Amino acid sequence: MTKNPPVVVIPQLVGPSDRIKRVLDRFVNTAPEICAERAVLITESYKETEGRPMPVRRAAALDKILSGMSIFIQDDEIVVGNQCSMPRSAPIFPEFSCQWVEEELDRLEKRTADVFLISEETKKKLRSAFEYWKGRTTNEIASQLMPAEALEAHNDVVYTVGNYFYNGVGHISADYAKVMNKGLDVIIAEAQAELDKLDFTDPEQLTKMHFLKSVIMANTAVIKFAKRFSDLAKSMAGKCKDKARKAELLEISRICAKVPAKPAETFQEALQSFWFVHLVIQIESNGHSISPMRFDQYMNPFYKADSIGSEKAQEMLDLLWVKFAELNKVRDESSTMAFAGYPMFMNLIVGGVRRDGSDATNDMSFLVLQAGANTKLYAPSLSIRIHEGTPDALYKKAAELSRMGMGYPAYYNDRVIIPALLARGLEREDARDYGIIGCVEPQVGGKTEGWHDAAFFNMAKIIELCLNDGVDKRTGKQIGPKSGRLEDFKSFDDLMASYAVQTEYFVRLMAAADNAVDMTHAKHCPLPFLSSLVADCIAEGRSLQEGGAHYNFTGPQGVGVANAGDSLTAVRKLVFDEKKLTLEELREVLETDFEGREDIRQMLLNRAPKYGNDNDYADDIAREAALVYCREVDRYTNPRGGKFQPGLYPASANVPLGSVVTATPDGRKAWTPLADGVSPISGCDTCGPTASVLSVAKLDHEIASNGTLLNQKFHPSAIEGDKGLENLKSVTETYFQNGGFHVQYNVISRETLEEAQANPEKYKGLVVRVAGYSAFFTALDKSLQDDIIARTEQTF
Amino acid sequence: MTGIESMKTWKERQHSFDLEDRNKAAVTGLVFDIQRFAVHDGGGIRTLVFLKGCPLSCRWCQNPESMSPRPEIMRIPHLCIGCVKCVAECPDQAIRFREGGTVTIDRAVCSLCGECVERCYAGSMTIVGRYMTVGDVMAEVERDRPFYTTSQGGVTFSGGEPTMQPEFLIAALKEAHARGLHTAIETCAQVSRETWAAVIEHVDLILTDIKHMDSARHKELTGVSNGRILGNLKMAANMGKNLRIRVPLIPGCNDGPENILATSEFVGSLGAAVEGLDILPYHRLGEPKWAQLDREYPLHGVLPLDREEVLAVKRLAEKNLGNVTIGG
Ligand code: SF4
Ligand code: SF4
Repeated sequence: MTKNPPVVVIPQLVGPSDRIKRVLDRFVNTAPEICAERAVLITESYKETEGRPMPVRRAAALDKILSGMSIFIQDDEIVVGNQCSMPRSAPIFPEFSCQWVEEELDRLEKRTADVFLISEETKKKLRSAFEYWKGRTTNEIASQLMPAEALEAHNDVVYTVGNYFYNGVGHISADYAKVMNKGLDVIIAEAQAELDKLDFTDPEQLTKMHFLKSVIMANTAVIKFAKRFSDLAKSMAGKCKDKARKAELLEISRICAKVPAKPAETFQEALQSFWFVHLVIQIESNGHSISPMRFDQYMNPFYKADSIGSEKAQEMLDLLWVKFAELNKVRDESSTMAFAGYPMFMNLIVGGVRRDGSDATNDMSFLVLQAGANTKLYAPSLSIRIHEGTPDALYKKAAELSRMGMGYPAYYNDRVIIPALLARGLEREDARDYGIIGCVEPQVGGKTEGWHDAAFFNMAKIIELCLNDGVDKRTGKQIGPKSGRLEDFKSFDDLMASYAVQTEYFVRLMAAADNAVDMTHAKHCPLPFLSSLVADCIAEGRSLQEGGAHYNFTGPQGVGVANAGDSLTAVRKLVFDEKKLTLEELREVLETDFEGREDIRQMLLNRAPKYGNDNDYADDIAREAALVYCREVDRYTNPRGGKFQPGLYPASANVPLGSVVTATPDGRKAWTPLADGVSPISGCDTCGPTASVLSVAKLDHEIASNGTLLNQKFHPSAIEGDKGLENLKSVTETYFQNGGFHVQYNVISRETLEEAQANPEKYKGLVVRVAGYSAFFTALDKSLQDDIIARTEQTF
Repeated sequence: MTGIESMKTWKERQHSFDLEDRNKAAVTGLVFDIQRFAVHDGGGIRTLVFLKGCPLSCRWCQNPESMSPRPEIMRIPHLCIGCVKCVAECPDQAIRFREGGTVTIDRAVCSLCGECVERCYAGSMTIVGRYMTVGDVMAEVERDRPFYTTSQGGVTFSGGEPTMQPEFLIAALKEAHARGLHTAIETCAQVSRETWAAVIEHVDLILTDIKHMDSARHKELTGVSNGRILGNLKMAANMGKNLRIRVPLIPGCNDGPENILATSEFVGSLGAAVEGLDILPYHRLGEPKWAQLDREYPLHGVLPLDREEVLAVKRLAEKNLGNVTIGG
């Protein structure tokens, strides 16, 4: 690695063009709707292919959808390709789960967050399609496969494996570069070559045959889909009066006839090829967090080889950004509490080092950050990798963008992540080539099935269980092992032992639950198109879902590190060290949710050290609480032949996970949200951002190789001027030198947020970063809005 | 992980009070706050150490708890949960609690025993000021050393008026320099020439307020005339010290055009030593603290200036000076 940051020449950067402003305006004024087309088409296809091998059925379904769905090209568009019959609308994926859709059909328009319009016609079509799926969804099949205790613990929210239990997996980065450089024709040829080698008398090879055939079918379907756009553009050009637009349409037509089948040559061809791949992955399955990753690395050569110049290229990029934002997904009502703001978690990262270890910054790195500034959209999720040789100019550009208050870019630390990935068995060059999936999860793109969002593990619930002999105080049921009651603990070590026993028991169940879901996807929902774009699926003749990827992981997240740590700390300090409180008293106040004993709650809040204030007493215990979880997770293996790896981040699951946990010894009241990510508890980080960052850096971020997340909020006054940019950089740099993994900044005033809460109309465009993603603030549920507002404003 | 005294963070120190701390070393200082991540008081990211006691009594003071050179009781009413532990524990019966939540403290009988602070878990009952050794202060300052390195920051001693505790201040500044830290002071410069000279020897950056150029008006507003202040500034400039001059812009007190012109002219006359002039627009965030100390705020009812008025002042000052900023 270079020690002296290279001096880079910044390309000329331009603001949003008039065209972009028009397109953005159209975007914010388009209301999301539900589209029934995909659900209807896939149901028809499944009925037609009953009895055929599953990969072939999936490819046939994809073909049916891509051939039958409505397509359109909007005014001003340069990169084309739509997900649904209308922009910003969401398709339905009945094969994963549809019971909830059916139950919530009439509420979609009325719920508080992520509202979708839906017509009566659509409802009727969906209801009739859903009839076919009763008992056939991956959700229903997986719940049959799960051990009963594991399903029960999921229902009691000791953990939730909900993500892949109800949806596709997603959380992947395809080999976009391969498609742009070689084309889908080459992928089809590769599959054919493997097919030709097979000996069909070998039963295993016979299975491979079906998969490879499905790859060819799926890729052919995608090429046909692109041709539909080529034809559409041509016919639109025929009717177009505006000469300039006519020329654009003809160019679009030419390009869509060429890519993604053939290699891209111009910048526009590369963007279009990229977009078809990215789009079809979203149509094939509804897993979110499909992440473009190192866009600057694979896109820059096309930009450099083209002579269009930075201004035109910027406009195309900005237009592509709107296409990202138009992709949408409908979630069930309770999930909107955890994933609010129509997020797709499409992580796109710039900077870092190349495969050979040298600095990777290029012109596209800057253009990408500028696209974020120009569009101010919540998608894609912009990220930047920081290493010792990150050029000052890029750092500064990123800080400027952070200061704009959209919550991006998120910063990632090469110095921790590369070694963490090496420790997980990645080859050195692959580790250097990592990108980020979804919120914070690192992996090497195009080679990994990471299953990064496998579960959220409720560390605060574990605290409740470890203080109550394994009894869930909300339901009164004995759900965990009998590890002792609060009054029985003679020392802090007894308490920690109980915490470890409960963690061990429930991590084990969680692993079983995850594996049951994993096996279901393998058997019932292989994804041939996506699989064909991830090494080594074609060579192995196995889908991603069956373990065809080069690297395989399962990554469940611990949520509420701060609550677990601070609860253990409070008991140790006030009960065992200082004897200010007896265990009986503590049990009583927790049982009554501090009713009439606010003084004790204040003692717990204010007289025990809190994680987030650079206080070793509290920080060491938080670190240990996290490690107990991480070490347990480390022990398990998934059905794809990969390892489990822990993460410590919540998306926004800290709100629903908190809603099932009684009062905790950190002074938290019953049913209130948990702390977010590895961030300190809201309001408990009273020593300012430097202390908070130093505290968080004390956790072991390397073992949590599925990602940790730190949200740091700044009042604009703390980072104003050039000096402010330097300070922001200094905070990032210091956190990273001390071993931090990820940090992102919210730069927004409390007043602004309250205003926005009161007048959502006026703040339609206001984006905030919510634990790992940016979203339109006004699209969030009230409780999440309050959560954001409550986060300490760490100005001085 | 045990409670070694010097390892206590500044926040933890607030949980108790012991007047005897004054005698725990040959030199102790009375500190009323330590703030980390200060970004408007010298270059980079800094830690700000506030020393208690001030020779001036500016009418607009936003840190009234800094004025007295002694520890004093301050009660923050909105934190009170009404548990009345403080009343029960006070050995001098100095605290009275009335129905409806009003509390009176008889400051004359309070012996600063600290019992109420210890017992008030909500943090409503506080004593402002902790006697600390240079080592105690440096332990807190050292916590953010990594940030000083990456941002070219350091430590700033503020007040009150830090030079009111010259022995402690000089010892602390020396210690900071010995540890390789950049040092700054925020001072009103109302101090003897000898002490001034002895202090600034160990200071890399001096941040000073000029409250008014007219000596008589200065006296009306702050209780002292400005002769010694201006003299000390000239001396620092002649010694080639780095100076940042700040003007707290107080409506109806010092925001008239003559004063702005006179101030900027004087600052210009100090020459190259002056890094720049900061206009600090009046705010009233400190007003509640006056009541918490049972004192009356002299500028009650004065509203902050609006942005245009502040910009006009900036333009005026720019007639005489190049580097004028609003805020620190
Ligand atoms: S001890 Fe504190 S919280 Fe309790 S009554 Fe006194 S001031 Fe209020
Ligand atoms: S410091 Fe002691 S004497 Fe003074 S009010 Fe508190 S308890 Fe009473």
